[in-house]
Amino acid sequence: MSEPDTIVALSTPVGESAVALIRLSGPGCVDLGRLTTGRTAALRPRFAHYASYLDTDGEALDDCIFTYFPAEKSYTGDAMLEIAPHGNPLIVQKILEDLLSRGCRTAEPGEFTRTAFLNGKLDLSQAEAVADLIHARSARGLEVARRQLHGSVGRKISSLTERLLSIQARLEAYIDFPEEDLPAEDEEGPAADLLALSGEVRELIETRRYSALLHEGVRALIVGMPNAGKSSLINALTGMDRSIVSAQPGTTRDYVSDRVEIGGWCLEILDTAGLRDRGDAIEQMGMARTLELADSADLFLLVLDLAVPSPTLPADLLGQMRPNNTLVLENKMDLPEASSGSPILPECSRVQTCLLDGRGLAEVRAGILSLMESGLSLPGKDGIVVNARHADALSQVLRALETARGLLKEAEFAELVATELREAVHALGAVVGKIDNERMLDSLFQQFCIGK
Amino acid sequence: MSGGLRYGPNCPYDVIVCGAGHAGCEAALAAARMGADTLMLTGNLDTIAQMSCNPAIGGQAKGHMVREIDAMGGEMAMNTDTTAIQFRLLNASKGPAVQAPRAQCDKKAYQFRMKHVVELQRHLDLFQAMVTGLIFKGDRVVGVRTSLDVDFYANSVVVTTGTFLRGLMHVGQNKNEGGRMGDFTAKGLSGSFLEAGIELERLKTGTPARILGSSIDFTHLEEQKGDESPTLFAFHDTRDPEDLFHVEHPGQEKLGWAPGTEQVSCFLTYTGAATEVVVRENLHRSAMYSGEIEGTGPRYCPSIEDKYVRFKDKNRHMLFLEPEGRNTNEWYINGLSTSLPFDVQLAMLQSVDGLEQVHMLRPAYAVEYDFAPPTQLQPSLESKKVENLFFAGQINGTSGYEEAAGQGLVAGVNAVQKLRGGSPLVFERHESYIGVLIDDLVTKGTEEPYRMFSSRAEHRLLFNHASAELRIYDKIKDLGLLPEARALRIEGKIREVHGWVEKLENTRIGGRLLADILRHTRSQADFPEALQAMPSPVREEVFYRVVYRGYLEREAKQIEKLRHIDRIRIPEGFNFRGVAGLRNESAEKLATIAPTTLGQASRISGVNPADISILMVYLEALRREK
Repeated sequence: MSEPDTIVALSTPVGESAVALIRLSGPGCVDLGRLTTGRTAALRPRFAHYASYLDTDGEALDDCIFTYFPAEKSYTGDAMLEIAPHGNPLIVQKILEDLLSRGCRTAEPGEFTRTAFLNGKLDLSQAEAVADLIHARSARGLEVARRQLHGSVGRKISSLTERLLSIQARLEAYIDFPEEDLPAEDEEGPAADLLALSGEVRELIETRRYSALLHEGVRALIVGMPNAGKSSLINALTGMDRSIVSAQPGTTRDYVSDRVEIGGWCLEILDTAGLRDRGDAIEQMGMARTLELADSADLFLLVLDLAVPSPTLPADLLGQMRPNNTLVLENKMDLPEASSGSPILPECSRVQTCLLDGRGLAEVRAGILSLMESGLSLPGKDGIVVNARHADALSQVLRALETARGLLKEAEFAELVATELREAVHALGAVVGKIDNERMLDSLFQQFCIGK
Repeated sequence: MSGGLRYGPNCPYDVIVCGAGHAGCEAALAAARMGADTLMLTGNLDTIAQMSCNPAIGGQAKGHMVREIDAMGGEMAMNTDTTAIQFRLLNASKGPAVQAPRAQCDKKAYQFRMKHVVELQRHLDLFQAMVTGLIFKGDRVVGVRTSLDVDFYANSVVVTTGTFLRGLMHVGQNKNEGGRMGDFTAKGLSGSFLEAGIELERLKTGTPARILGSSIDFTHLEEQKGDESPTLFAFHDTRDPEDLFHVEHPGQEKLGWAPGTEQVSCFLTYTGAATEVVVRENLHRSAMYSGEIEGTGPRYCPSIEDKYVRFKDKNRHMLFLEPEGRNTNEWYINGLSTSLPFDVQLAMLQSVDGLEQVHMLRPAYAVEYDFAPPTQLQPSLESKKVENLFFAGQINGTSGYEEAAGQGLVAGVNAVQKLRGGSPLVFERHESYIGVLIDDLVTKGTEEPYRMFSSRAEHRLLFNHASAELRIYDKIKDLGLLPEARALRIEGKIREVHGWVEKLENTRIGGRLLADILRHTRSQADFPEALQAMPSPVREEVFYRVVYRGYLEREAKQIEKLRHIDRIRIPEGFNFRGVAGLRNESAEKLATIAPTTLGQASRISGVNPADISILMVYLEALRREK
């Protein structure tokens, strides 16, 4: 709500696109333009600069177009900076996180337009339109927040809130009720609880890297010899006749991809051309492409045909398949000529299937989920992942908690420690909504028998 | 006194104060000290400024408010200093912001001195008559009716009726009408409020039994003495020494003894295993548990039956035995509120260490009373429904003498400001506890008797009790509450403190900033000699501001960040329901509370930042149209 802040928001829709646009408005824009491009001088006003975006560690995140607008020539009437990176959600998120860590604040719904109006950039007749815009955006924002906070993330954060309030209440009790018959004041307890809480907040913040995975999906590559049933697999998983299935080997020439949800995770499945040494030029290209795709894959689904002798797979592909990222599907188990199993990658988990009628498909899904959760160390079944805005607020919570712990260690006055905790509660409010002091008092009166 | 009692529509007062408790006294004194012709009406002249519950003033956050009252020229601090029989500084081991003075008073001496002060106050008339109704003219109040069938008229009326509106006292199943044991109940006034469209709700509070001191066996009890060097409430460094007088010394004679000398002790004891048995076996006979009481009681002051029910593992509860005065043998049992019947109370008392042979003088009781939810008030404490009608104290849903007195003073000031056309005295939340108190009341209302806690104040680090004068002076200097000599002394103190802070932050010793040395050693021994020679109020304040500068500056920054929305005023009569885009739920809440600034609007529970954004746009549009 405070005007001196520099606000930031992604102005283009979330998702993949050629170019994304990140807008900033506020007094920090001049310096940010200089710092993120690694220049010593300010950016020339209203001039497109092509430069690498440098994060606080000096690492280049992407090549972007930077445009700086001085206050008198900007949309909002405050200094503005526009950054246009490539439209990759991961890059966009990294840039947003970097800007937040540099002291920017996520813009409230409609805040750019509101600022423009308050600065006299929009005329009076537009006031109602501005209000409608704020309303529409916040209603949508609320719905998004509600969905995010529904379920495990919400439960986790509200449990953190309760515990934080409980620690705060324990400190406040000794400040506000010095004459009560409270248990002896104990600095160790709160310090230990703060340490535990900090640890969990930190873990929660770290899950934000998964939100990129959530947006893009975990990339699973289906590989195998021609006609082993790779296309049947993607069709079975997506429930669509997406790949052309035929008995003729080599039907999938380049690759086909689709997204499916497994256990709450978005999985991007790539069906590749079959691996074999002979064939025409197009198939050769398809295989080269498969090997290239393997470099960026998170998971491998190796489909083997039990009805034919075990193939010899290219060594550079086999080298990338490990027990923690590969599921072996032994397909065509139903055919009379099928062998009992394949000797390839014996250390990887495997499932026998008949993809044409769907036998073994449930086991395939379970196998994929277990690989994602253990092999990729994605968060467990509760699937708790925070987004950049939550992570921003939680980082403030963490800073305050750590300061509080430091003060406790130095045996500083309790009211100074309490000030930090109050700040932590306030920051958490940005995620869960305004936390009234009454809730801390409720916790206090539940924990302590007050009433001299 | 003024020129004699006036009555009837032709001789209106400037201000009438209904009630002479802690809120009423401060309201009447403030109005009169501002030069307004004031009448204070009370149902009983012998119970002026009575401490209906425990005989103590101050404590955490409350002690701070008493000092704020003193900084505004109120009487509570001086009255406490001159009648207290024990002083203790609470939280002495914590930082200056949360250290809090508390005093045990001689109950009767407190009342008599306050009575004497109001009797002698210029421009203030005192009269014993029970107010039975208000006289309205249109939507304004113009006077009050009394039980003597005499009507009094005034430009402004301040209502400070405490727990007396339809007061109902419970001792077990036994019920008596009254706002305090031994006193009456005010009946007609509730009707007047309802007639004017002012809503009333019920609250509940209680007070423990009183016992005879000579029946207490002190042998095994832990003694609690007062502090050897007492922390007083009034700012004696800026007050005229002639201010100190006492009822034994008519007129303006000196007190004759130093406040804080000849202190008496309190004693500590505990409930025992037998107490728990008595309470548990008789729970069904408690007025609270048998459903006799409908009002909500305070969480922070539960009855003994509540304590046993809610904290099953705690098998003993601490009790303080506090003397009620020098010239009485009546003692107060702090921690033993109850609505259990008389016979159970007696058995319960006898189960307590040291009270085996106890003689009960008055039983504990619970009292239910009407209060007017304070969200019906403007930040000036004037009613939104009835013009010129002000409310202060327990009728607003608060608890505590200090909370009442603070509101009383502000209501008294604003009753005068209203008739003089001056702007009302409204503290912001970062200026004083009284500001936090009133903002909470008018913005959020209260579900239980509201008591101040330091944790309610976002910026309590700025509220160290000794800084009250420095914080508040600018805001009140033009109101005429302070004698000129005192105002000059406060200005001098402010200059000294600022000057010394500035000096320490700019003086180097051996290349190091003096202020940095102090922040490191935290010892006043490192003060320059000239500063060491300054009076302790100046020294202490300079020390706090320098040593805690980092924290205090952070508070200042946060205040600055929120300030711009506190400065955006919402015009009177603004139509919240007509704002497109505002959620219905928010529009309803905003229309009910009718906040006066965007900052106040943002503190209403359930109003979210998007609503504030939309309001901001509308208010700007409104401003541009003009």
